[in-house]
Amino acid sequence: MRIRLTTDLLTGLLFLGLGGFVLVYGARYPIGSAVRMGPGYFPRLISSGLALLGLVLIIRSLLRGGETLGAIALRPLVVVLLGTFAFGLLIERAGFWLASIALVFASRLVERELRVAEVAGLALVLTALITVIFRYGLGLPMQLLPF
Amino acid sequence: MGFIEHIVFGFSIALTPMNLLYAFVGTLLGTIIGVLPGLGPVATISILLPITFSLGPQQAIIMLAGIYYGAQYGGSTTAILVNLPGESSAVVTCIDGYQMARQGRAGLALATAALASFFAGTVATIVIATAAPQLAEVALQFGPADYFSLMVFGLVGAVILARGSVVKAIGMILIGILIGTIGIDVNSSIPRFTFGIMSFGDGIEFAVIAMGLFGIGETIANLGLGEEGRTYVRTYSGLWPKLQDLRAILPPAIRGTVLGAALGILPGGGPVLSAFSAYALEKKVAKDPSRFGRGAIEGVAGPEAANNAAAQTSFIPMLTLGLPSNATMALMIGALMMQGLHAGPQLMRDRPELFWGLVASMWVGNVMLVILNLPLVGIWAKCLTVPYRYLYPGILLITCVGVYSINRSALDVVLASIFGLAGYLFNRLQCEPAPLLLGVILGPMIEENLRRALLISHGNPAVFVQRPISLAFLILTVALIGVLIAPMLRSTRQRAFEEKA
Repeated sequence: MRIRLTTDLLTGLLFLGLGGFVLVYGARYPIGSAVRMGPGYFPRLISSGLALLGLVLIIRSLLRGGETLGAIALRPLVVVLLGTFAFGLLIERAGFWLASIALVFASRLVERELRVAEVAGLALVLTALITVIFRYGLGLPMQLLPF
Repeated sequence: MGFIEHIVFGFSIALTPMNLLYAFVGTLLGTIIGVLPGLGPVATISILLPITFSLGPQQAIIMLAGIYYGAQYGGSTTAILVNLPGESSAVVTCIDGYQMARQGRAGLALATAALASFFAGTVATIVIATAAPQLAEVALQFGPADYFSLMVFGLVGAVILARGSVVKAIGMILIGILIGTIGIDVNSSIPRFTFGIMSFGDGIEFAVIAMGLFGIGETIANLGLGEEGRTYVRTYSGLWPKLQDLRAILPPAIRGTVLGAALGILPGGGPVLSAFSAYALEKKVAKDPSRFGRGAIEGVAGPEAANNAAAQTSFIPMLTLGLPSNATMALMIGALMMQGLHAGPQLMRDRPELFWGLVASMWVGNVMLVILNLPLVGIWAKCLTVPYRYLYPGILLITCVGVYSINRSALDVVLASIFGLAGYLFNRLQCEPAPLLLGVILGPMIEENLRRALLISHGNPAVFVQRPISLAFLILTVALIGVLIAPMLRSTRQRAFEEKA
């Protein structure tokens, strides 16, 4: 029998994995007793429940099947995360203006053809707008330029 | 103070220039994001959480509330003109609203939606003003065991009435609760699950989680869908209904309001569930149900009244018990927390101006919304022609700047990106991220109340069934589970019978 990659199966594996990880990692925290709960009591309770639900989902998906995983939109996923990561890395080193332009350009790489003029205009307008709102309107002390 | 004095007190706060301004900003934003498909109140409120930090608590909550109920108005405009739900609670309005528009009655459909919503908003405001203070009075007597059972009831209700798989939703709540345990444990001062990262000591900022899941994760999901072709109805004359139209609108609006107001208070019951139920109800009471789906005015008036009523009454459990009935209310509690305030009966007792100012501002906001959505509907129809490729870079940018602004921490931006990735994966796995948010908010409170309840009872778990209030909530929880399992049992039995035959 070939195992189909249903969303239930994958979610089950995720729940089991997360629950199991917290159980193992959380073993270092003392449990205590019901009267005086240690820091490990509650996380252990919850993560056991999560792992159990994971098992239920796995068994159910093997018995009943279910919907298979849809397509993953890899390009938007990678490009958007690249943009937000870049923003996080640049905001303190290079200032908001460069970080903002980087994010707008990176996120627009979702399209196969980059309309350079349009994106440049968009980057300019958005950067100016956010600068006015956050820096001057709300008084957020953020660095605008690298120096 | 009596009821009238409270209302006057509320208006004296809501009508100050600053509060009027933020009610207007909120309802305006709510209308815009309601009109735009793919951008809902949960994402918008998440993205704006850091901005509210620089406002006072009163302005913050007035503005956020305006976004929420404003989106219920705006969503219907898109549903009627484009046959797309601008906001998920307007799904049912598409059915008959768009048909009315195709028959040349777009103006009447828009007016019906706006007036039914306004009627519902007015009634719901009165319901909040009368019911909430009494509920808060009762809630002041709750002990730790009662709170624990209440929260279990709230979470179970949220899961059962939500759409999608129940097992997955419970799992998402548990993941949220586990995320909530990150940070230094208050009782033992041992850092839990901080993985040696200093800034995790205070826990992960709620706004960072919400902004990552909804601001970034949903944007990726939307981009994955690609842009669909849209067909617009461009003429919408006859915005002012005749007397006979009003007579046709009123009865379904009343039924929708009652149903929506009741369902809004329930945990997990929100605008979406209310709109669907109201549509089903209208179909049931109609003399000629075959008219539905072909432009029946009741099919617009009932659900639109219901979703707005529910959006407003869902504030009741949040304000009086500190119990969020849906993701938006979890965000409201988060916004208050960022101001150092804890939603619940104590807040209502100690800061009555917050509550009464909000209630009065809701009615003021509804008046603004009728004006925004009827005479100015042309502007919002234009909004729909803005392509998504202009919008999403702006959404991402505001999200990133907002996340950064909370603690001026670049690490938070990276963390939000990781939650964005998680949000998209959850979307693909068909796991709703909203229950996770409820878990993050309620997790620490559940642990604290569980600890205290068992400490007081010397570790005897019977305390949860010995206290009458706690017992009542647990019985309600079991009843809810019964409601859930019964149809499943029936359908399995049905299948068994069919197989035999």
